[in-house]
Amino acid sequence: MMEAKKKTGLIFFPAYDWEISPTHPERKERLLYTQDQVLEEGVLDIEGIREFKAGLATEHDIGRAHFCVPDVGSRITESHNVSAGGCIEAARLVLEGVVDNAFALVRPPGHHAMRVVHGSRGFCNINIEAVMVEWVRRHHSRIKKIAIVDTDCHHGDGTQDVYWHDPDVLYISIHQDGRTLYPGSGFPDEYGGPNAAGMTLNIPLPPRTSDEGMLHVMEEVVMPVIDDFKPDLIINSAGQDNHYSDPITNMSFTAGGYARLNDMLSPHICVLEGGYSIESALPYVNTGIILALAGADYSYVREPDLDPEKIRQDPRITEYIKRLSGQILTLWRTRAGLRPERREFMERSRSIYYDTDGISENQNEVFRFCDACPGVFKLDSAASTGYHILGIHIPHGACPACRDRGQSWYEKPGGHYYAVYLQDMDQDLYMVRRM
Amino acid sequence: MILGIDIGGTHTDAVCLDGRGIQATAKAATGEDLVDSILEVVHRLGIDYTALSRVVLSTTLSTNAIVEKKYAPTGMIVSAGPGIDPRGYFLTDAFLLVKGAMDHRGREYVPLDPEQVKAAAGTLKAKGIHGLGVVSKFSVRNPAHETAMAALLEKDFRYLSMGHTMSGSLNFPRRMRTTYFNTAVMPVQERFVESVQKALTKLGIHAPLFFLKADGGTFASSAADRLPVETILSGPAASMMGALALNSHTKGAAFVFDVGGTTTDMGILVNGLPILEPGGVDIGGVKTLVRGLKVMSVGAGGDSCICLEEGALRVGPHRSGPPACMGGNSPTPMDAFTALGESTPGDARKALEALAPLAGQRGIAVDELCREIISVMAENIRQKAIAFVDEVNSHPVYTIFEMLHPEIVKPERAILIGGPARLLKPFMEESLGMECEVPEHFMVANALGAALARTTAQITLMADTQMRRIVCPELHMEKEAPSTLSIEDLKSIGIRALHDHAHILGISDEIEINVIEEQSFNMVRGFNTVGRNMRVKIQTTPGILPLWREQ
Ligand SMILES: [Zn+2]
Ligand SMILES: [Zn+2]
Repeated sequence: MMEAKKKTGLIFFPAYDWEISPTHPERKERLLYTQDQVLEEGVLDIEGIREFKAGLATEHDIGRAHFCVPDVGSRITESHNVSAGGCIEAARLVLEGVVDNAFALVRPPGHHAMRVVHGSRGFCNINIEAVMVEWVRRHHSRIKKIAIVDTDCHHGDGTQDVYWHDPDVLYISIHQDGRTLYPGSGFPDEYGGPNAAGMTLNIPLPPRTSDEGMLHVMEEVVMPVIDDFKPDLIINSAGQDNHYSDPITNMSFTAGGYARLNDMLSPHICVLEGGYSIESALPYVNTGIILALAGADYSYVREPDLDPEKIRQDPRITEYIKRLSGQILTLWRTRAGLRPERREFMERSRSIYYDTDGISENQNEVFRFCDACPGVFKLDSAASTGYHILGIHIPHGACPACRDRGQSWYEKPGGHYYAVYLQDMDQDLYMVRRM
Repeated sequence: MILGIDIGGTHTDAVCLDGRGIQATAKAATGEDLVDSILEVVHRLGIDYTALSRVVLSTTLSTNAIVEKKYAPTGMIVSAGPGIDPRGYFLTDAFLLVKGAMDHRGREYVPLDPEQVKAAAGTLKAKGIHGLGVVSKFSVRNPAHETAMAALLEKDFRYLSMGHTMSGSLNFPRRMRTTYFNTAVMPVQERFVESVQKALTKLGIHAPLFFLKADGGTFASSAADRLPVETILSGPAASMMGALALNSHTKGAAFVFDVGGTTTDMGILVNGLPILEPGGVDIGGVKTLVRGLKVMSVGAGGDSCICLEEGALRVGPHRSGPPACMGGNSPTPMDAFTALGESTPGDARKALEALAPLAGQRGIAVDELCREIISVMAENIRQKAIAFVDEVNSHPVYTIFEMLHPEIVKPERAILIGGPARLLKPFMEESLGMECEVPEHFMVANALGAALARTTAQITLMADTQMRRIVCPELHMEKEAPSTLSIEDLKSIGIRALHDHAHILGISDEIEINVIEEQSFNMVRGFNTVGRNMRVKIQTTPGILPLWREQ
């Protein structure tokens, strides 16, 4: 008899009436065959696995993670409310003890959405994991340390951006090397801001890495780091575009590999990210992930066309990954030494491109390198749409000095802005002032 | 005239009616031989048999056969391919796994091995098995493997069922069990129909015979021969349909409570239709693909046990024997009714005797205790009713439209039927805070429900224009799909097929057809649209025969 050792909640929201465009990878058809496979396998009848209805994220929920320009309503569609709301519902089920773990099998995805949102990047408008994480921190204060392991094939530059300065959120991204794939970032030297150095770990893998390489990284880097960090909550950004059949990437993972990965990581919450091999990968990968979360037997889940010989990993790739894994683990263990020399204010400037919407943004960040708290920062952001805004983030556990600094930035922004935004995490206050 | 007979566990009820209303009702005890019970109750009706135009039976025959495992050994040959290990779902060692696999679009990627299938059949025949079910994963997308197995083996087995003809819905484990149970009860149903037909003919009744199904509809006995599994759980379906017929409102949502001795069964009617269980009903704890009404049982009835737990009065959920007023040993809600002076078949003196010690312990008068007992019973029912509505309303939805425009079911009235219904009414009104109706003839609601239920059928059509295929599993129909096929074309094909195959499905002419689900997806590969993937579910509208409503 099929049996689940854990109680697993499934939030399935395929958004059958939403698409970016009729032929876009993010189209109505995307989760159709996944639903077929999950239903036909009788997964939802397995004792312990239960399906729940998605919820709706509010503007306030989104405001905790983003400065949406010009406003939340114009940057998202209802589908984003449901996919972020589905993640929140998954977290609620886990934290209220209704289930042991949950999978938000929702679309559209979110891991390319950064803190400032001028438009859509890499099919993402809002970061559904970040909206969920901030909801968790607001409603369940016992959750202090959070680990997000992003196994999408693309570097999760959005999630990295949102948590760049956050010492309590460990972000690990395993992805195809940015020299060969969108968004072109995610190298080991991107390891987090001054007060959170080493809390971002990027593990870029060469094209044609197979399960062997991925599982090596899991065993030799991710699991030791997680064991060391001891998070209160583990999230898997479960993108499925590393699959050998994915049309827009070049990796060689299998459904069985994804199931083993989740078995090993044992996340509290999985969130679907990318994955566009809608017929040949998603049905099997998702079935495997659900079974692995539930602690049920997934050993017979296999793609019909799987030929292990065809996707066998080149020994040179194996060697490369071994070396890389060693370097990343060392980076983590020596992270105390990564903190830069202290100056009160640190600045960085960068350009961000919104490929889905064709928007360019120039961003200038001023960060207060505080030793009493994670540090307040402000973002000066001007986009090709003509909007120029200032966003101020007063972090969780902000010290009085940082709070005062944030408030004075908000009150006297200087310069000509379309609007000034304030996120005050401890007060759960999200304000926008039109200038 | 229509004759409806409900064969329950203890009683067999019959009702005879025509366009002018109920003409006769009768009740008899259900005996060992169900045919004798039918004859007895028909005899008591005292009607003119030649005027009958249709006879409808609701029986516990197949339900009991399945729950009590009283059926002949039955074999299953199953092909699955990769996925969840199918062997985990095998119910007996007469389930045999063979090679063969299809994917979610119905593409074959591991062919069937006819020699292996024949060898498996040989193993089953050597065990003296005469009934065989054949099932393959994704057979509702492409029934080729099931069809091929059936063609190879139809001469070797007297009873044969193919998984895809059970239901067009996806769910391989449920398909296996449904096919297994269906095959297992085929001989039981066959013998029963044969002897009922013979007995009715002897009486001079030549009207066609129909059976009530779990979904609250009926089908001709010829279809019941092929799909006897659909007659499971027709008891609750009969009471819901009876309540529907007797209900004076057809708009809005209403609870139905069928109050029995041990339990109260509840369901919900919405705009004159009962709510269905989305994935299929459970029988004896096993999940099937059989379409059926959504019902919930509460351990609260006239014979529920009563006790004090840490000073709190508890009623149910168990039954501890007959009420004291009927010769039992301990007090029950029925004793409370009797002690309050309601007219029941019980002995009021015995009821008072049984309740007095409890009243003494509580330090209250017996009549106060009686009202408390019934209030607690009503409260138990109310709590389960709230949970039931929550469950109905928490059903997941898959489109933004449904997410933003949820259809919330909110019952505003209740219909009470069953033995203690009239006595419980004021207490239920108080507890639920809503009007409760106890309709006239509520004692024969089940037989009435069987008599008046419309014939029903549901079919599923799946079109894949890239593969140029249309499949309708329930009708065992495959057609070529033109590349220009639209969802409207597919619906017309389905509606026409439903009419053309009415005799196979066992449905009569007076049907209304409606499309209950339709989905159409452009299939895009690369940046080109290569076809359309369309799914349609069409049903004949369930409900009560129009002759009743026209009264
Ligand atoms: Zn991706
Ligand atoms: Zn500070």
